[in-house]
Amino acid sequence: MIAIQTDDVDIGALIAAAKKHGTGAVVVFDGIVRDDDISEMELEAYEDVATQELEKIARNATEQFGLLHVDIIHRIGRLGVGENILIIIVAAGHRKEAYTGSRFIIEAIKAGVPIWKKEMTKDGGRWVPGEHGHGKPETS
Amino acid sequence: MRWYGKENTCEEEEVMVKIRFFARFRELLGTDIMTDVVAGTMFTPLITTIAKKNPEGYAAIFDENGAFHEFVILMKNGKRIEIADAAKTMVVDGDEIAVFPPVAGG
Repeated sequence: MIAIQTDDVDIGALIAAAKKHGTGAVVVFDGIVRDDDISEMELEAYEDVATQELEKIARNATEQFGLLHVDIIHRIGRLGVGENILIIIVAAGHRKEAYTGSRFIIEAIKAGVPIWKKEMTKDGGRWVPGEHGHGKPETS
Repeated sequence: MRWYGKENTCEEEEVMVKIRFFARFRELLGTDIMTDVVAGTMFTPLITTIAKKNPEGYAAIFDENGAFHEFVILMKNGKRIEIADAAKTMVVDGDEIAVFPPVAGG
C-alpha cells in the first residue's frame, strides 16, 4: 500500500498483511508529531508527484534489498501531537535487509518527495525547513 | 499566429497553463492559477509575472537580481526543471507548472 491520505491506518493490520511467505523480519517506522511546543502540524503534498515518488522509492528499495513487502503511508492535513505522520512497513527474509530497506525509504522520502510540514503554534505557524536544500527527487 | 481576413490583422496565439505553488509560496501567491500566455513564453518570465503580484511572494522566489533563489524547485508536468534551464524552457498548452520550496516530508 502506497498512499498519501488524511486518515490514520491500522498498523497492526498492515503488519499482519506484510507477513508474506518467506518473511523473517518486519520493520515498522512510525513518524509522529513531536511535542515541540506546537498545537498541531499541517501537512501539504503535491499529491500526484509525491505518490509517484513514493512508488518509485518502494520499487527501488524492493529491488535493491530484496524486500518481500513495502507499505508507505504519508498523512496530510492537520495532525495533533502524538499522531502518526508517516508509516513505513518493510518485510524481508532477514533483519539486515528489513532495517536497511526501511532506512533507505525514510531517507529517500526526506530527500525528494514533495511534502511540506508547518508547525502551528500559539503565535501562528512556521514551515519546517527541509533537510536537503535542493529537494532533489530520488532517482531510479 | 492567427490572421483575420480582410482587416489583415493578427492576434498572437495564446496557450493555457496551470501554475501551482506549494507551502509558503502558496500562502503568498495562491495556487492552481489558470492563465493564458502568449505561445512561446518561457518558464522564467511566466513565473516572474505571476510572482510580481505579491512583492513578498516575489522575494520568496527571486533574488534582488531577478534570478530564482537556488533553493527553489521547479517542475513542468511533474518533471524537474533545473533553474539553469528555466529561461530556455518553453511552456505549451496544458502544461502544469509547479514551484515550491525544499521538501520537508517524513
